[in-house]
Amino acid sequence: MRNIILEKIVKLFLNVMLIFSVYLLFRGHNNPGGGFIAGIIAATGFIFYAIIFGTESVKKMIGLSSRKWMGLGLLVVLITAILPVFFSKAVLTSLWVPGDFPLLGALHIGTPLLFDSGVFLVVSGMILTIVISIMEVLEWN
Amino acid sequence: MILPALLLIPFLYIILAILIKSKKVKTWLSFAFSLINLGFAIWVMAQVFEAGMIKTQMGSWPAPFGITLVADRFSAFMLLVSALVFAVVTLYSIQSVDTARIKNGYFLFAHGILMGVNGSFLAGDLFNLYVWFEVMLMGSFILISFGGERAQLEGAIKYLILNLISSFFFVAGIGILYGKMGTLNMADLSQKIAQSGDVLSQLSPAMVLIVVGFAIKGALFPFFFWLPASYHTPPPAVTALFAGLLTKVGIYSLIRIYTLFLYHSTSFWNPVVLWIGILSMVIGVFSASSQYDFRKILSFHIISQLGYVVIGLAFYTVAGLAAAIFFLGHNMISKTNAFLVAGWVHRERQTLNLKVLGDMFKKNTLWGVLFFISAFSLAGLPPLSGFIGKYLVIKAGIESGHINVALVALFVGFFTLFSMVKIWIEVFWKNTPPEVEAPVNTKPLPHGLMISASIILALAIVGMGVFAGPVVNFCEMAASDLLNTELYINFVLK
Repeated sequence: MRNIILEKIVKLFLNVMLIFSVYLLFRGHNNPGGGFIAGIIAATGFIFYAIIFGTESVKKMIGLSSRKWMGLGLLVVLITAILPVFFSKAVLTSLWVPGDFPLLGALHIGTPLLFDSGVFLVVSGMILTIVISIMEVLEWN
Repeated sequence: MILPALLLIPFLYIILAILIKSKKVKTWLSFAFSLINLGFAIWVMAQVFEAGMIKTQMGSWPAPFGITLVADRFSAFMLLVSALVFAVVTLYSIQSVDTARIKNGYFLFAHGILMGVNGSFLAGDLFNLYVWFEVMLMGSFILISFGGERAQLEGAIKYLILNLISSFFFVAGIGILYGKMGTLNMADLSQKIAQSGDVLSQLSPAMVLIVVGFAIKGALFPFFFWLPASYHTPPPAVTALFAGLLTKVGIYSLIRIYTLFLYHSTSFWNPVVLWIGILSMVIGVFSASSQYDFRKILSFHIISQLGYVVIGLAFYTVAGLAAAIFFLGHNMISKTNAFLVAGWVHRERQTLNLKVLGDMFKKNTLWGVLFFISAFSLAGLPPLSGFIGKYLVIKAGIESGHINVALVALFVGFFTLFSMVKIWIEVFWKNTPPEVEAPVNTKPLPHGLMISASIILALAIVGMGVFAGPVVNFCEMAASDLLNTELYINFVLK
């Protein structure tokens, strides 16, 4: 049975949760937030969507398989870890982009953000992999 | 700069194994990465040989605050031996492990274990050590329960629960320690304990928790029961990997904290460690002689052999520690090789029950010789590495005035010989019992890679026995570094 109200609300919910997760991702490092919690919130949005529309539609929406997202996240983390070596610093040292930007003003951009994005991908990929596998075993569609 | 590479190489393999689909590519990449890891371990060894110790401060945070990776001679030796064992077991697994397991990421989790083991050998602070223990345990939990056979799940649950309890003890001890001392960097802690004299009595609860945690991980006397209950259930290649690497990390950590913290109150800790060692030796060897399963006998012998290492530590002289380090290296190689041979027997006959096996020597003489080398190295026959190991332990015992302990070690050696002869006769020598129907499949299964893996380790055993001089010298240098705590503290903190 289709339930139009539920479908509309879930679509809205997914958007809100994705935007909120990106907000938390950028907020991290200096304030409460960061890649881990942002990844969980993004994955929760997709899980709500999967409960209403089935796992196939979520798989289509995220493009690559969730395992691949996990791998890509780990790759981003690895790159962050070894990037400082090319600037002759110890592994995992934070690097910061200096200076002001023309339109945005003074920004504080560096490798911690990249690291958090990697964590974001790993966590959301992992939670989606677990939940989608369970839903498929239970034939929840 | 090269120390983080030992952590990042297995990590890179894990990423590739997630992203790459082809089973064949993953398999051979796994072997290639294990060789790269071995190469880096040799490089670390070469640098440590020159410089004595090397360190890296992760993220450029200075020592007592950040995470320090340190490799002294002892760590470098352990890294090298474990990299060798890992590379060989990977080669062996390519042929020995079934397709379904390889497809589902057998090598991925094996590299997870490697990452944890390398990290534990390099960790310069206690919490970091705990984290690497967890990494290692995650991989091993999955490998031991992988495949979901009935017996395997039973073993896995025992393994999982006991190891979780041990992690719990360890982290509780770390919590108390941090509350009292305000630091977890091992060098910093050691220095603070040395400066504040009486404080170690207050730290006893924490130390007891940590030592119990390590004793469970290292399968020492009162806490060994999980090991023989679980090691005979997974595929033989997995058992070989576990026997070579996992318990040894527990013993490594015990040696590390004994030489950094516990030596301050020798009057309490020395008898404890000595008795743990003696009882592990004796009880392990007696339990082994009553078993009739190939892998169970070898599992009980792990406990007994680790007892030798621990009494070497308890002598607490240069000779004793050198003997312990040498014995640890010898045991990793010989034990793994014995399990590799068990894997071949299992592949040919689908069982490891000594009562129904037989005639294996006729089936393939070379495997028989390989078993002979590893088993009689474990039993301590010259010119194999086990002879040198036992000789060093017993000599150190006599020199440090523990004549009775040395006699017990000798006595245990006889029983080890008894068990090994028992396996040799029952599996390789005797005729297959007539009431057991002869195996239908007489054509041998392919075992080229398996046998080359085993030959490499057998050569290492013989090499370690025949050219023992340089290795023993290196172990003595490592031992005197361990006893000279000031050296470690100054190197890490400055």
